[in-house]
Amino acid sequence: MLIGRIRLEYLPHRWLGSQVALLVLCLYSSAAQAVPSFARQTGMACSACHTIFPELTPFGREFKLNGYVIDNLKQVKGITMDRRETLSLNSVPPLSVMLQVSYTHTATALPDSVVSGALAKDGEVLFPQQVSLFYAGKIADHLGAFMQLTYSGASDHFGFDNTDIRYARYVTVEGGDQGETSQGASWQSKHSLLVGLTVNNNPTVQDPWNTTAAWGFPYSSSSVAPVPGASTKLDSGAGAIGQNAAGIGAYLWLDHAWYAELSVYSAAKTGGVHPLDSTQRAVLKGIAPYWRLGYESRWDRHSLFVGTYGIQARVQPGNGLALRGPVDRFTDIAADAQYQFIGDQHLVTVLTTYIHENQRLNSSFENGLASNDSGSLRTLKATVEYSYQRTIGGAAGYFSTNGSSDALLYANTGGVGGSANGSPTSRGYIVEANYLPWLNVKLQLQYVGYSKFNGAGTDYAGIGRNASDNNTVYVLGWINF
Amino acid sequence: MKSLARIGTVLTVWVFLDGFARAAEPPTELARSAQQLAATTCSICHGTGGRNTSPAFPNLAAQTAPYLQAQLQAFRDQTRADPDALAYMWGMASQLSNETIAAIAAYYSTQAPAPGKSGDAKLITAGKQIFQQGVAAQAIAACGSCHGPLAQGAGIFPRLAGQHSAYLVKQMLVIQNALRVAPVMHGVIKDLSLAQMLEVANYLETLGP
Repeated sequence: MLIGRIRLEYLPHRWLGSQVALLVLCLYSSAAQAVPSFARQTGMACSACHTIFPELTPFGREFKLNGYVIDNLKQVKGITMDRRETLSLNSVPPLSVMLQVSYTHTATALPDSVVSGALAKDGEVLFPQQVSLFYAGKIADHLGAFMQLTYSGASDHFGFDNTDIRYARYVTVEGGDQGETSQGASWQSKHSLLVGLTVNNNPTVQDPWNTTAAWGFPYSSSSVAPVPGASTKLDSGAGAIGQNAAGIGAYLWLDHAWYAELSVYSAAKTGGVHPLDSTQRAVLKGIAPYWRLGYESRWDRHSLFVGTYGIQARVQPGNGLALRGPVDRFTDIAADAQYQFIGDQHLVTVLTTYIHENQRLNSSFENGLASNDSGSLRTLKATVEYSYQRTIGGAAGYFSTNGSSDALLYANTGGVGGSANGSPTSRGYIVEANYLPWLNVKLQLQYVGYSKFNGAGTDYAGIGRNASDNNTVYVLGWINF
Repeated sequence: MKSLARIGTVLTVWVFLDGFARAAEPPTELARSAQQLAATTCSICHGTGGRNTSPAFPNLAAQTAPYLQAQLQAFRDQTRADPDALAYMWGMASQLSNETIAAIAAYYSTQAPAPGKSGDAKLITAGKQIFQQGVAAQAIAACGSCHGPLAQGAGIFPRLAGQHSAYLVKQMLVIQNALRVAPVMHGVIKDLSLAQMLEVANYLETLGP
């Protein structure tokens, strides 16, 4: 999402004491898209690829890994004299629109951004919270794209959002050449192997499972409620890499079960000064390798995935500091699991992910932005979702981030986004109810409750505000067409 | 006029037989293309060779070619309109030519069938009774009289042996509810209860190659 560009900045300390920084912290919402242009291209209902959008079914994951190219539209074709295909284009452009309208209410109103002692309006309607235009579908044989342009109501900006361009093709398919497999058949005739390339702007946006940040639960959340100040690089939140990177990766999908991917990311920021200089913040230095391994088993109406993923990112703080000298190095290693049951009446999904981040804060420590030259963060998320006939459902999730304290890194800003004790710990729960009158329309009621926020449950920021004061009621109308 | 009618009949039979022959023996290139399509696309849901583990999607292996052709044409022409047909197959079949449909049908009809599964003995016994002898009290004909004594299928009557029981029950329900047009079946199963459907479906799922 557009505001992801803001929320995903690396913010170890720069939000200290700044009301602007508070606004930045508030400009948070989860990425969440499902696009009808895929349905138009394939001729298949949303339910083929999604349980409840944007969560994917096994077929949806196959569609994504295949490069978004399965099509059932008439094609505009071009060939050479030797019958080499030079064009295979959908006769209808794969365009879609998404609209989100929301209402947010926090337990206690937030402080006014200018007038000391005053409170901001309690209860915020965003019309729209977000409007997105998608090109999502086939570009050519084996080549497809998911591209999103988004207008954000809170930031009043229109800009480039999540993008994933893929090339994928089968090297071999089980039974593809030999028909029936047999003991004497070759390896190729007994296995399916899909090889793909992805070019994208957000680590995990290419991932087909819903345990990772870009497409993880909650699929949409308030863009104006306060969110915790600390997050791992691969999580969604204020400290994550998000759309501040561009990457290219290669992946293998073996026997519709084994997944392996290696990608590399470099800094790619939109807006601000270019070439990137000291006025930018949290700039990736060099190449950040990202990796992903996993195994999915499918049986009856069930599927179970277990996997691991990670990234090593070197970051220059910038924001007044020259982009040279020592760097902060973050190593995230994660484990995740996803279970789905997709019945005709009942659908159940269980999602969990654990991320451990090791921090070497050489640059921040040297420049007086961190109290320690090293630290760590740990993120745990677990969610259970249920839907009846893809119409009425809900979810309950637990989230937690904790780690080593640092009085400068997680400083007392004197505002809602600060931490009085320098601890990154936040934890809480999300409960959600959904009603989908149509497969492409979702009405959502969400409640986010915090037991700890930026280090404590009570008076966490030294301004008399408790973690539960940030509890949020979020009502969302979400349509895709 | 008589000889004209005779010529017409001969031509009709010739065209039909020619079409059937083409369906049974599609050109090699087309057969290979259909095989690739089946292996890369159809297999995502229906499994390799048309054998899969999800009752949401039918096994296609060893299904009769005429039945598969008829169903694919019905999906393409949007005359089969049960919920899963709309959600999945209307799109997937929309651009298939008659020749490709015939080639896909030929491919799956020659694949080794899915193995039978074990199940609830009580249901299986009751289901076998219905399948083989029908239910006289309800004027329900024996299923095997059309689908074959081993449920192996015959021409337009589909193979049922080894099919997922949940899929079979769902099809009987959509036929009863007229969401799927199946002229013979509408009459045969109109009075079949859900319990009887479960019995016969559980029996059929046990039948192997």
